[in-house]
This record gives sequence, C-alpha cells and structure tokens, in this order.
Amino acid sequence: MYILKLLQTLFLGPRITERKAQFLGKDVEFESAGQELKQMISSLYGGRSLRIRAVDGGSTNAEEIELTALSNAYYDIERFGLSFVASPRHADMLFVTGPITRNLERAVRSTYEAAPQPCIVVAVGDGACTGGIWKDSYAVVGAVEHVIPVHLKIPGDPPSPTDILVALMSILKKNP
Amino acid sequence: MSLTIAVFIQGIVVLALAPLVTGLVRWFKARLQGRHGAAPWLVYFTLLTTLKKENVISESRSWVFRCVPFVVLGIALFLSLTLPIVFPSGGIPQVDLFVLAGVLALSSVFLVLGGLDAATAFGGMGASREMTIAALIEPTTLITFATFASVAGSSSLQDIFGNGITVISHPALLLSFVALVLIVLAENARYPVDNPATHLELTMVHEAMVLEYSGPYLAMLEYASSIKLTVFLLILGNLVGAGLLTTVVIGSFALALFESTIAKMRFFRMQEYMSIAFFLALAGLILIFII
Amino acid sequence: MSLFSQNLLFASLLFTLFSGICALGGRSLVFHKLSQGLLLVSGVLGMLASFKVLLAPQTVLYFGLASSEFFPVFQLDPYGAVFFLLISLVSFLSALYAVPYLASYQETYHLQSLNALVATFVLGMQLVVVSQSPMAFMLGWETMSLASFFLVVSDRSHESVKAALLYLVMTHLGAGALLIGFLLLAQGFFFADFEQLAALAASAPLWILSVCFGLFFFGFGSKAGLVPFHVWLPEAHPAAPSHISALMSGIMLKVALYGFLRVLLFILPPIGATASLFILGFGLLSALYGVLYAVVERDFKRTLAFSSIENIGLIFTMLGVAFFAQSQGLEGLYQTALIAAIFFAIAHAIFKSGLFLASGLIVRAVHSRDLEKMGGLARQMPLFSMVFFVLCLAAASLPPFAPFFGEWIFFQSILQNFSSQNLFVTIVLILTFAVIALVGGLAIFAMVKLFAISMLAEPRSEAAREVHEKPRAGELFSVAILAFLALGLGLYAPTVLSLIGASVLVSSPAEITVGSATIQPSLIFWLLLGCVFVVWILRRIFSRTAHERIYHGWDCGQPIDASMEYTATAFSAPIRFFFRLILKTKKTLVAQPVVATNPWITTRTATVDLRSIWMDYGYVPLGRFIIEMAEQVKKIQSGNIRFYLLLMFLTLILTIWVAL
Repeated sequence: MYILKLLQTLFLGPRITERKAQFLGKDVEFESAGQELKQMISSLYGGRSLRIRAVDGGSTNAEEIELTALSNAYYDIERFGLSFVASPRHADMLFVTGPITRNLERAVRSTYEAAPQPCIVVAVGDGACTGGIWKDSYAVVGAVEHVIPVHLKIPGDPPSPTDILVALMSILKKNP
Repeated sequence: MSLTIAVFIQGIVVLALAPLVTGLVRWFKARLQGRHGAAPWLVYFTLLTTLKKENVISESRSWVFRCVPFVVLGIALFLSLTLPIVFPSGGIPQVDLFVLAGVLALSSVFLVLGGLDAATAFGGMGASREMTIAALIEPTTLITFATFASVAGSSSLQDIFGNGITVISHPALLLSFVALVLIVLAENARYPVDNPATHLELTMVHEAMVLEYSGPYLAMLEYASSIKLTVFLLILGNLVGAGLLTTVVIGSFALALFESTIAKMRFFRMQEYMSIAFFLALAGLILIFII
Repeated sequence: MSLFSQNLLFASLLFTLFSGICALGGRSLVFHKLSQGLLLVSGVLGMLASFKVLLAPQTVLYFGLASSEFFPVFQLDPYGAVFFLLISLVSFLSALYAVPYLASYQETYHLQSLNALVATFVLGMQLVVVSQSPMAFMLGWETMSLASFFLVVSDRSHESVKAALLYLVMTHLGAGALLIGFLLLAQGFFFADFEQLAALAASAPLWILSVCFGLFFFGFGSKAGLVPFHVWLPEAHPAAPSHISALMSGIMLKVALYGFLRVLLFILPPIGATASLFILGFGLLSALYGVLYAVVERDFKRTLAFSSIENIGLIFTMLGVAFFAQSQGLEGLYQTALIAAIFFAIAHAIFKSGLFLASGLIVRAVHSRDLEKMGGLARQMPLFSMVFFVLCLAAASLPPFAPFFGEWIFFQSILQNFSSQNLFVTIVLILTFAVIALVGGLAIFAMVKLFAISMLAEPRSEAAREVHEKPRAGELFSVAILAFLALGLGLYAPTVLSLIGASVLVSSPAEITVGSATIQPSLIFWLLLGCVFVVWILRRIFSRTAHERIYHGWDCGQPIDASMEYTATAFSAPIRFFFRLILKTKKTLVAQPVVATNPWITTRTATVDLRSIWMDYGYVPLGRFIIEMAEQVKKIQSGNIRFYLLLMFLTLILTIWVAL
C-alpha cells in the first residue's frame, strides 16, 4: 500500500538532509556587532533555541525564497533549534530582507520595537546589508542599519541557504 | 501512599513531562516529513529563553490582559494536580468529570478575553472562532463524560480508573472513545480543527489569541497548552489501559501521524466536525442502554 | 420580641406602602431619598421575616397586630418565604442603587410617579407571594402587572410606549387565563382559598384539570417568558429604567415561577407524563431560542433579556424533568430536580439583577444601549469592571459560582437515573441532557461577548472614549453585593440546597447527596485560587517583573485604529452562520453613488437585522387575522336603529327560551 511505501522511504530510505558538519567550522568572517551580539546570545542560553520573525522591507523576494527553503528537508533549520514564528512579539531574532523602502520603513521600525529585547537583528541579502543596487535610489531609505540596529549581516544576492546557515552557526553555540 | 504525597508527585511528573510531549510531537512530525527535526528536549530551552525575554505590553489593554496567563496556567496546574492520571488513587475525588468540563470552559473564557483585549482584528478573529468551537464541543464533551460515568456508576475519575473501565469494558465505549479523541483534538487546538504552527492569521484559532503576549506571559501560555495536551493524552492513555511512558510516546506518535495525514478543515465546515463528534457520542450513550 | 417578630411581615408591607405614599410628596430629591429609604427598611424587614420562617420551618407568619390576625388570607409559609426573601433582597439593593442613579436622570423620568409605581410594584409582588387564596393572588398579580406597565412607559419615548402596550396585552391575556383557571377549579366559588381549591381539584374530572393546566401554563408561562409567549420580554425589559429591569427580570419572572409551582405542588394533583413533557419541551425550546438570540443580539439590555428567557427555559426544563420523574415513580430524581430548579432560580435572580443594575451604569456612561458603541470601559471604570466580570462569569454558569452547581446537581441526578428500566425515560433524559449542554456552551458565548465588547479593547465611539459619569458609591456597592452573593451562594450551595428542600418539599431528603457524589464547592474554589496564587509566586521567582515595556499592539506595521477591532456582530458571526436555518437575519446592502455623474464610485452601507420568527410567523399574522375578524363584525354596526331593535328582540326571545 502507499502508506507502507511512504514509511519505508521515510525511515529506511537514504538520508537527504545535509550533514551538520557542512555548516560548522567554516572560517568565513561575517560582519557582526561583536561584543554586544555575544552578550545577547549568552543571555539567551547560548542560542540553543531561537525563534525567528522574517520581515520583508521591500526585497525582490529572492531572499524570501531562500529563507523558505531553510525549512525544507534538505537544510532543515529546525534541527539547529531555530524556528519561524508568526509575530514579532514571539521572536528572538529578526531576519530583515531587502533595502528598506520608504513605504515600509515605519513597518520595519514598528516590528523591531514590537519585538521584546534582547532581539538579534540579521540583515539578509545585499540589499539589506548595504542597499545593494538600489543604494541611492529615491524610493529606499538604505541599508537596514539606517532604520534599526543590525547585529549580523549576511551578504549575497540572494544568499543561499548554506550561506545563511554558515553565518548563523558562526555566531551561535556550536553543536547545539 | 498518602493523598498529599501522591498529588504532589503527580503534579511534579506532569509539569516536568509536559514540554517533552510537545517536543516529541514536533520531533515525530519532522521525522515523518523526512527531516531531522529539533531534539524533543529543545522545548525546555525554548520555554526558558522565552521566560527571560522582555514583557512587551500593548497600551490598549486592561487589567484582564495581565490576569489571563496566571489564570490559564493556574487552571492547567489545577488539572494536573486534581485528576488521577498518574496514580489511580491520586487526585481529588470531588473534581469529577462535570467540574472538569466547567473548569476547561473557564480556561477557554480567559484565553478568549485575553485575545479580545489586544484590540486587533487577529485577536478578535481567534477569540470568536475559539469561543464557537468551545461552545459547540460542549454537548459532545458532556455526553461523552456521561457515557463513561454511566458505565462506571459514578462521574468521578477515581471511580472510572479505579474500577478499571477501559474502552473494552463495553462495546459502546469504542464510539465514545473516538468522540473523546475528537474532543481532545478540538480542545487542544490540533488538526483538523486548528494548526498550531501556522503563520497565516486567517487560519489561526488558538495562536491568534496569543499573538499579543511576549516574554514570561507567552512562556506561561505555551506551558499551559502543553500541560493541557499532556493531561488529555494521559486521560486517553488511562482509558486504554497503558502506562505513563507508553502513553506519552505512543500518544505523541499517534498524534504526529494523524496530523501528518490529514489537512486542517476550513473553519466554516466546523459544523460537520462537531456533528460527527456529537452523533458518535450520542450513539455511544444510547447504545449503553440498548446493548 | 415575639410581638415584633410576629409582625415583621406586616411591617414590611406597611413600609412599602409608606414608601409609595411618601414618593408622591413633592418634586425635590428629599422625597425621592425618603421613599427609597423606606423601601430599604421594608426590604430589611422582609428579609428578616423570611429568615425567621425559613430557619424554623414550622412557623408561618401572619398579618397581625397584638396577636390578633386580620386578613388571614395573607400568610407567609416556608415555600413563599424563599421567594419573599428574593423580593426583599433585590428591592433593598435596587432602592440603594436608585438613590444616586435616578438623581442623574431627573429630567428623563418623573421621579414622583416613578417611585410611587416602584413601591406599588414591590407591594404587588409581596402580596402575590403571601396570598393564600385566588382572589388575593389575582389582586397582587394585577397590581404587579399594571404597575410594571406604567414603569415600562417611564421615559415616554415612542418605542417604550409600543413595548409597554405589547406587554400590557400579553400580561392581561395571561391574567385572564389565570382567572379562568382558578374559577374553573373552584367551580365558581371565588372566595375559596388554596387549601379548599386543592380539595376541590382532587375530585375534579380529568378534562377540567387538563384545561386548567393549559390555562395556568399559558398564564404563568407568558409572564415568565417562555417561548412562544415571550415576545413582550425583549421589548419591555430594555425599555424600562435599569433598576426596574432588574426587578422585572430578576424578581417578577420568579414570582411567575412561584405561582406556577404553587399551583402544581399545592393545588393540582400530580400531573401526568404528557403534561410534564409539555413543560419540558417548551422549556428546552425557550432555552435554545433564548440563548441563540442572546448570542447574536447587539443591544446590551436585549442580550440580558434573551438571557433571562434562556434561564427561565432552563428552570422550566428542570421542572419538566422533575414532574416527569414523579410520573414515572423516580422520587429521588423528582426531589433533586425540583430543588435544583429553585436553586437555579435563586441564583438567576441574583446575577440577573446584578447584570441589569450594571447595565444601567454602562448605558449611562456611554449614553447608548448599542454594544457596537462601547469598548475600553475596563480602563475607565476598573473597579466596576471587576464586579461586572464576576457577574458575567456567574451568568455563564462557570465554576465556582452558584448556577454551575445548580446545573451540576441536575446533571448528576439525571446521570444516576439514566439506567432506569424504561427506555422511554432514558431517551427523554439523554435528549434533555444534550440540549442543556448545548445551551450552556452558547450561554458562555453570550456572556463573553457581552463583557468583552463592552469592557475590553479600544473604545468604539466618542462617548466611550471619555466617560464623565462614573459609577457612584451606592450604585457600585449594590452591584458588588450581588456579585458576592453569586459567589457566596455557590460556596454555600449544600446548605442552601438543604434549606430549599426543607421548605419546598413535604417530605424532604435530609441532605443533598446524589448517589455517591457529594458536592463541595468551597474545595474547588480554594484549589483554583491556590493554583493561581502558586503560579503568581513562581512567576516572580523565575523571571524579572521589572523587565517590561509598554508599546502599541502588534498591527503588522500599519497604523490601526479602533474601527478595525472586532465588533459584537463580527464576534457572533460564526454562530449566526452555523445556526442560519433558525436565526433569520436580513441583510440589506445599499449602494449610493458619490457623484451623480459617475455611477461606478459608490458608498455602500450594509445592515444586518435580526428578525424574530415568532413575531413574523406567529403574532403578526394572528394580529392581522383578529383585526380582519373585527372588521367583519363591525358590519353589524350599520347605524340603522331598526336593525338594533331587531337584534335586541331576538336576544330577548333567546334568553327566555334558554331560561325556561
């Protein structure tokens, strides 16, 4: 029957999730807020279980697609203790994507202020880190740090799920 | 052992196990999706992390907003202390099935008021849906409880578990057991009534009411819902005749399997779900007197 | 002292009379305060009299001075004492409430006539409960009905007059039915008292008893608010001033219940299964309709009125089960269900009066009865909102308040009797159980809607944003007492239940234990409180309480205002949808072009109106039919004097033929 075949694939089939070691121990340096970030993470039990709220500040949705891919069976962000939540009130981390457009500046700021401290802000993608190709446009405010304080920057247009996970693992406790 | 010690130990066991049950359900669901999933004991770290965060409070709230997490968690604690779920001789005998139904309704009322106090449309929508589900599941709950009480001769859970009433004590109890499973799914905001992991507010029922809570209050509400799920799983386990650990593991797996195979029902089809549960319960009760 | 205590009853009624006379004294507030003060004293004396009778169940109080009794037709026996206590209590509290409340309504109401009518109303109810003969009963009944008619018209607005006229018609139809019933039973001997009536009824033929039962059911049922005789209730109770609504909804409905039980328990012989199923069926119907309309209503006091209909339906269901059990020989179920019904009636009197008194304060604060215009009042009137919250929880029949234990006793007694030999009995009990459970769930919904939309979240109108008339001490105190009583009655439920049993039943059970289950409300209350306290302590230990920040609500980043929060219509929408076959709503959508030249840009107004199926399909066609008939009969009045003389001649011939 179909369900038996499904169970066989799930429990006896080859493992499709990429190994954790692939994301740890890389020596790539990410621009981060250093000491303040370390203090925040140590106060949150080493970042063993953090909840993320994804805020779109006017991106091309390319970063959004990569963030969605983080929850699939290949990358599986949940095994690192990270999960996505529905409200910034529940969130420990904010993933901000896109250069902050003038229309959404208020929304991003209000999301940050609605999130309880300590809250780690991660700028995902080139647009969020530096403004990208829209840097001096009339329609954007600029990089995320012009609106809210940023603790970690993940460059890339868009950064692949591997890049995102490597960046996150570099700041969180290894081997969660 | 004396009653106080039994109650105390039972409370400690249930309170310690509750987040693990939620973690286990999540872990089994992840494995059934082919993912690795977070370790089951990670939920403890989630609760501890949330407890340490700042408490952000809306400026349009009233005194009800602050009372809600205390009362909801207090009622969950009350359930874990007074029902004889770990030791059949534990618990308080005066808290029988009808008082249980009333206390559960009280807990729902406070949660709903907390959702409405947020002055947002999300809270109102979640509150309205949750109240409808609670109101419509009430006849099924009372009839199922009455069925089990009729077979045992008393409505106190001590007598039901003490007399060894399980689902095979009477053929009609199988129908009531299925109705009870449907009630448990509705009360704990699980599929197909509600999706506890959704991000879309239009599909939320229970989650929408806690959108406004943060920090310690959020930790209390999440802990309360895990305790409620654990208590109900243990009641179901006792009715099947399984022990503590078997119930926790097999129950979580069964719930995860069920949630992975079924989709959440549209809210405006809830009357079908409620009717099925009601008629199963009614059939169970009537069959007891015919067979 | 015994002289004093023997005359408590007479003194109480005398003070009510004085209160009425004093109110007519003049226009100034002094007379208002004096008359309410006299009503207060009357209430205290009444409560003392009832306690005297209840605590020593062999006593019966008479009207008298110096041990000689005049009017032996007025006696306070233990059964009447239960209801007399309720009347005295609620009139005491409403007098306390009325002193500051009416002072702020001096322009709207004519205070002299209002206070005189209140005193007459209370006097009428007191007379009904102490009367021992049909004539005295009808005297009190009519006083009560007429006084309440004038009270409903107090603010002389168009809708009050319409509501009062409907009420007048229904109550007089009911009174007429009662009068015919009493006369039929007494076989024309109008000056009998209840004991003689009971003797006559024991030997009456079955068809007379059935007709009388039907008449009494219609008479008392229409006053109590049973569906389908309830149509006056949702109109009259909201139109009256709030403390009058409390008296009408809390007490007058109980007086109707008193009358019904007086007839069934003390006058008529035990009614059979059919009649009790009749009571049961109408009770269930009222409960279901009442609660459904209470859930979807948007007017504050109409919600409370429909909730009264639902609770009266519940009480009549319990009575129906009790008499059905009696007809099947289940004595235990009969006694327990009867006691549960009266206990629930007492609890309902307390919390419903409290809710109506509270509604007066809320309506005065917001200057509107519309729920859609309220909101955020818990921040403006925090102490009052806490008291109102307790009353709403009690009204929803949640533990640890009194109505929950009334229902608990009822459920337990039904449960014990499920496994009786007769399958028919089992089916009836199971179906009752199911419908009562559904009604209970929806009642919680209605009360949550009432509290949440009026008290929580942001104000939905300008009037609710700045409340100028906050509740004053006397008003808050009277509502708070009722809230405490609702809790206290629950905590002391076992004592009260055995007291009721001793006074109502001829052979009463020694204590209320239903099978092997004993009721212990105080344990549950203290356990719940203890658990919440433990949680509070643990929270202070495990997290920092100072670590918090006030911010505006999570609005998805876009500015939201009070018009975007849930309204009462929205909150009850799922129930309106699920029960759409029963609840007929009328939706109107009006689209008007904004600019005459462009028909594509329109403003749309959507209205959802509730329709009463009883009015639409029952009363309005009946009314039209009666008017049609009257038009036909009018043709006799041709104006031709010869025709009139012919008619008189024919009548004369007919009379002579019949007499000979």
